[in-house]
Amino acid sequence: MKLLDIISSANSNLFRNKTRTFLTILAVFIGSFTIILNSAINSGVNDFIDRQVESAGGDGYLEIMTTEAVDTFSSMMNTSEVQEYKEKSSNGQNSSYITDEQIEKASKIPGVESIDLIYFATPEYVTKKGSDKKYAVTSLNLMPRGNVNLDVTAGRKPDSTSSEPEVALTEAYVKALGYNSDEEAIGETVTFAVPNTIACYTAVKREDCLKFVDAKVVAVQAPGVMATGGMRANLALNDAIYQLSTEGMPEETKRHAFQATAQVEPNKVDEIKEELKKIGLIAMTIDDEVGMIRTFFDAILVVFSIFGAIALIAASIGIINTLFMSVQERTREIGLMKAMGLSNAKIFLSFSCEAILLGFWGSVFGIAVSMAIGLIGNEVAHQTFLADFPTFDLVKFNPLNMLIITLIIMFIAFLAGTLPARRAAKKNPIDALRYE
Amino acid sequence: MGKVIEAKNLTKIYGKKSAAFTALDGINLDINEGESVAIVGKSGSGKSTLMHLLALLDTPTKGTIEIDGQNATKLSKRQLNKLRNSRFGFVFQQFFMNANDTVLENVILPLKIAGVSRFKRKKMALEALKIVDLESKAKNKSTDLSGGQKQRVCIARAIVNNPKIIFADEPTGNLDSATGDKITDLLFALNEKRGVTLIIVTHDEDLAKLCKRIVRISDGKIISDSAVRKDAQAKASERREKEAARVKRANEKEAK
Ligand SMILES: Nc1ncnc2c1ncn2[C@@H]1O[C@H](COP(=O)(O)OP(=O)(O)OP(=O)(O)O)[C@@H](O)[C@H]1O
Ligand SMILES: [Mg+2]
Repeated sequence: MKLLDIISSANSNLFRNKTRTFLTILAVFIGSFTIILNSAINSGVNDFIDRQVESAGGDGYLEIMTTEAVDTFSSMMNTSEVQEYKEKSSNGQNSSYITDEQIEKASKIPGVESIDLIYFATPEYVTKKGSDKKYAVTSLNLMPRGNVNLDVTAGRKPDSTSSEPEVALTEAYVKALGYNSDEEAIGETVTFAVPNTIACYTAVKREDCLKFVDAKVVAVQAPGVMATGGMRANLALNDAIYQLSTEGMPEETKRHAFQATAQVEPNKVDEIKEELKKIGLIAMTIDDEVGMIRTFFDAILVVFSIFGAIALIAASIGIINTLFMSVQERTREIGLMKAMGLSNAKIFLSFSCEAILLGFWGSVFGIAVSMAIGLIGNEVAHQTFLADFPTFDLVKFNPLNMLIITLIIMFIAFLAGTLPARRAAKKNPIDALRYE
Repeated sequence: MGKVIEAKNLTKIYGKKSAAFTALDGINLDINEGESVAIVGKSGSGKSTLMHLLALLDTPTKGTIEIDGQNATKLSKRQLNKLRNSRFGFVFQQFFMNANDTVLENVILPLKIAGVSRFKRKKMALEALKIVDLESKAKNKSTDLSGGQKQRVCIARAIVNNPKIIFADEPTGNLDSATGDKITDLLFALNEKRGVTLIIVTHDEDLAKLCKRIVRISDGKIISDSAVRKDAQAKASERREKEAARVKRANEKEAK
């Protein structure tokens, strides 16, 4: 018997008992569908994260905190454990702040190109210069020096080496402030109102303690997820706002900062991290941070893959059962074919073929349905929660992945089929012919 | 005429030790080319067992079988399969047809097993169906046929590979006498016109008398082995000749 004949008769044998075959294929389908859709979502999400990493900080960009600050954060997250009290330094300074000494030492580590302390100061509102329409500011983040990209729809990213205050608006502010287009906003001046902490303790009216700083609009940002959509200030603007809000405070207090950013030579990142650790600073690259998100997604997907695998195991049992029934029903046919000179090996092959075909059809339907659902899902996502990210496909199908998954499922089906196929091959033609 | 089958001291014992049962006991049997042999005996006498051994479907506990002078017990599994596939044709008491396949597919089966190409095997199967006069049913599902038609399909299947020997186990057992006659006529026409050796297992004395030779067995032993009297054979010859003429016409038509 030729191989092609074996395959085609295996296929037509399968569809003799349509209901049983359909149910078995359905079981395989559930497993393959789960796994294929899962791997497609995995591709989509990872691809998206990769692109976000590029815009959040490239090679050699570090975010730095003190070891104490990191500990404090992690113990804040873990409220079930009580830590022993550690005495603060003699001058009473909170050691969570990065000290001048640490910055001094850090800047001398070979490979460190620049290091800046980050002061957090949020203005109260923003206006178009000269206008009295005020808009609340919820977040204005520093655009640090170093290898950090900003996705812009117009203009260029704020220059932190410049001494002129510059700002990158978001599209929402462009509209609110009354510019007709992103391009029109570029080069315009906006005014930030900053509350002075000390003055506001005693002020009767809020307006009495507000100070003002002008900034030039240099960019309008493209939507993204990493920087959560806030406006971005260059170093000069950030400093100016901080100065206004801390005016009147002791110099020492003014210099309190939890965070610093640094740009270092990309190939020295690991050594520099080690060096920083020695002076009590912990540095993270964007990849470290994204790595956590990635691990989180991967964990979810692993769980779903396990569901898929369990479904496949159940499907394998279904295949074994289906084929055992088929061997039983076709006992006489097997006997007849053996009497006519069909070898044991080919009987085995023909039943194995049926098993493999069950796996094959299950996978094919799995691919077809998961692609359909994936494409619909992408479409729905783009119209709803991913409306701002036209380039992000929630589900991404990789042909090679699908081929590999199909082959693996066919192999699993083959393994399941070996049991009944062996039984069929070992049947004695006489016993099979005498079978009632 | 040479010997096609030569069985020496065939013994078949089923089961072991206390449960052992001797189904065949020291059978010696030679079958010549072109002969028609009936194996007759009571139920349970060992007819089917003997036929299975002669057809190399089972192995004897003791003794040897030679096919065309070649010791079959020494052949490999592969050679055995090849031999059965190319030289033997089988007609069983039950039809053993694949109910969901077409008549044509059922007849094609031995050729498919032999690995004959698609085009050629279809042509050969249609020829075989023409001989049993069922060409028109080629595309029907085999379940749609009557009992007699089914058995004729089985004969077409048995002859499709142009076998030298046809083994038939109770070929008319399931059929009424008129239909049974048609089947026997077909088999004997093949024997006469094509020189196919016929080995028919039956407990029907009338069918047995149509053969040239009757082998009677009882309790696994041959109790008589004799040629059939001419006058008994003559009764059936008229009917046989008519059928033979029809087959000849069919063959001539095909030759054109
Ligand atoms: N696999 C087996 N195991 C044990 N005994 C068997 C087996 N096959 C056949 N027999 C026994 O061997 C004897 C001969 O069986 P066989 O089938 O050859 O009889 P038969 O002459 O063909 O009978 P029938 O006319 O009823 O078909 C019977 O007594 C049967 O019970
Ligand atoms: Mg019998």
